[in-house]
Amino acid sequence: MKDCIIRTENLVKKFGSITALDDVSFEIKKGEVVGYLGPNGAGKTTTIKILTNLIEPTTGRACINGIDVNKRPKEALKDVGSLIGVPGVYGYLTPEEVLTYFGKVYRMPKKQIEQRVDKVLDMVNLSDWKYTKIESFSTGMERRLAIGKSIFHEPSILILDEPVLGLDPEGIREIRELIKSFQDKDVTVLLSSHLLDEVSKVCDSVIFLYDGKIIEKDSVERIDQIMKQYRLIEVEFLEDLAEEDLDKLKNIPGIDEVEKINHSKVRMIKKEEDPSSTAEILIKVIREGYKVVSYSPIKSNLEDFYVSLVGERGDAK
Amino acid sequence: MKSIKEDMMEDIKNTCLTVSFELKRHFRMKRMIISFLLAIGLPLIFYIVPLIWASFPDTAEGFATLNLSFVNLLIIISGSLFAGDAVVGEFEEKTGLLLFSTPQRHSTIFVGKYIGALLPTLVVVSIYYLTTSIEIIGIYGVEGITLEYFKSFFIALVYTTSAVSLIFFFSSILKRKITSTLLGFFSLLMILPIIENVLQFLVEVEPWYILTYSAGLITNVFVGTTPIGGGPGGQMGQFSPDFYSGLTVMVAYTLILFFLAVFIASKRRME
Repeated sequence: MKDCIIRTENLVKKFGSITALDDVSFEIKKGEVVGYLGPNGAGKTTTIKILTNLIEPTTGRACINGIDVNKRPKEALKDVGSLIGVPGVYGYLTPEEVLTYFGKVYRMPKKQIEQRVDKVLDMVNLSDWKYTKIESFSTGMERRLAIGKSIFHEPSILILDEPVLGLDPEGIREIRELIKSFQDKDVTVLLSSHLLDEVSKVCDSVIFLYDGKIIEKDSVERIDQIMKQYRLIEVEFLEDLAEEDLDKLKNIPGIDEVEKINHSKVRMIKKEEDPSSTAEILIKVIREGYKVVSYSPIKSNLEDFYVSLVGERGDAK
Repeated sequence: MKSIKEDMMEDIKNTCLTVSFELKRHFRMKRMIISFLLAIGLPLIFYIVPLIWASFPDTAEGFATLNLSFVNLLIIISGSLFAGDAVVGEFEEKTGLLLFSTPQRHSTIFVGKYIGALLPTLVVVSIYYLTTSIEIIGIYGVEGITLEYFKSFFIALVYTTSAVSLIFFFSSILKRKITSTLLGFFSLLMILPIIENVLQFLVEVEPWYILTYSAGLITNVFVGTTPIGGGPGGQMGQFSPDFYSGLTVMVAYTLILFFLAVFIASKRRME
């Protein structure tokens, strides 16, 4: 209990007749990086809004460092950095002004604010825009600034809701590295996302939320196993495949595993989930001299996965 | 655990921080400069036009009455500019997602926002009176500045706080900045005056509880509280607000709407 940093107890949130959260309870210990996964509308943002005092639960409570967030927000949130949804960023100000203001809100000394402004803007790649009004920023730049704001006061707890939303692949990679770097600093992170792949790359464990309920809590290793079904491609060749062909295909960069279905058909598992790797693999297979009759990435989606988890749960009961 | 005193000091600091942030916001959005220019420009019109094309009124009171009849408009414009989006803006533009998740009581933020809207409006009104008083001194001498002039200034300041409270209240209950600003603006400019006139002239009831009726004191202090003759029914104004009851009504509007606005805004959630 002593090490428990974030705790929700039987959280229920109702919006009229709709139950957004239904008896959600979990604990996150000091230094853990936990993914909060679920499809859109599962209740992730609602949980995070309760944890940051933006809304109040209908029943239940949310605590940070043992303090009820909705009753004593000043104490509970002082060491929390948060990014919730897609916030607006005061367009008439510059990044330097926004960060300075929030530094003052968190009672940071003036000297520290000055130092952190440069450091954080450098971390989120906005150093060149320090004195530019935010109204001229792209969505991705605004997002990076919002992330910068969340880490500005060097919090020991980070609550991030879909942090890579709206970022380009390079931006996603940078933010991923940033989150990974918190693991070494003993920062406790709750990372909400609807992307399994994203969470599996940075988190220690995962909480699955579906339809307002927690359906599974698991380690990231199991997630990695699950992820394989989202990287499947079925390929049919014109000619029959020999054993050495399977080895040859397995050695193609970007391919993790190859499994023979029949004499001319294989199932390949990609290393990466993104669609560009699917195209690259096809080019490489053709370059190896294989005549491809059909090439079909298997379209199972996250929704299917959540439904299957709910099904498993129901069966177990 | 902090003591109550420490806790209060922290809340005051947070409020001050919000006030300075709001002032910076108004400055950056060029609201300050627009209002200040109006506060200097409007009284200048009343000086320059008679100087070139006509003559000044015979008395300082006449000049003040004419000039100050437009301070009401300035209060409405400035109040709408500074308070119209104070609360609703944070929700509509979703900047509240950044602001309300910080370790501050939401009520301290909204109190800061109210003061941040009120202060520049009061300054604007003060500039208007200062410019007018310079003109009066220039035309009629120092004796042109009477006790009634200071009374009028005092009433204008009280009316400003009640007008800002009303617009701030709209900002705390509505969903769009534009709706809140326009509703605030037209309430004070048209809606309340229409109700006031209907009650006065058609129902023949004194509308003492209507805010804009009390605002009439700003210029009425120069002509006394007796009804003015003329108008379609034989009398132009059947009723005239009493100084103390008018003042009480304005203070009541200020306090009730301010507390209601802060309460509603603090309960409002980023859903």
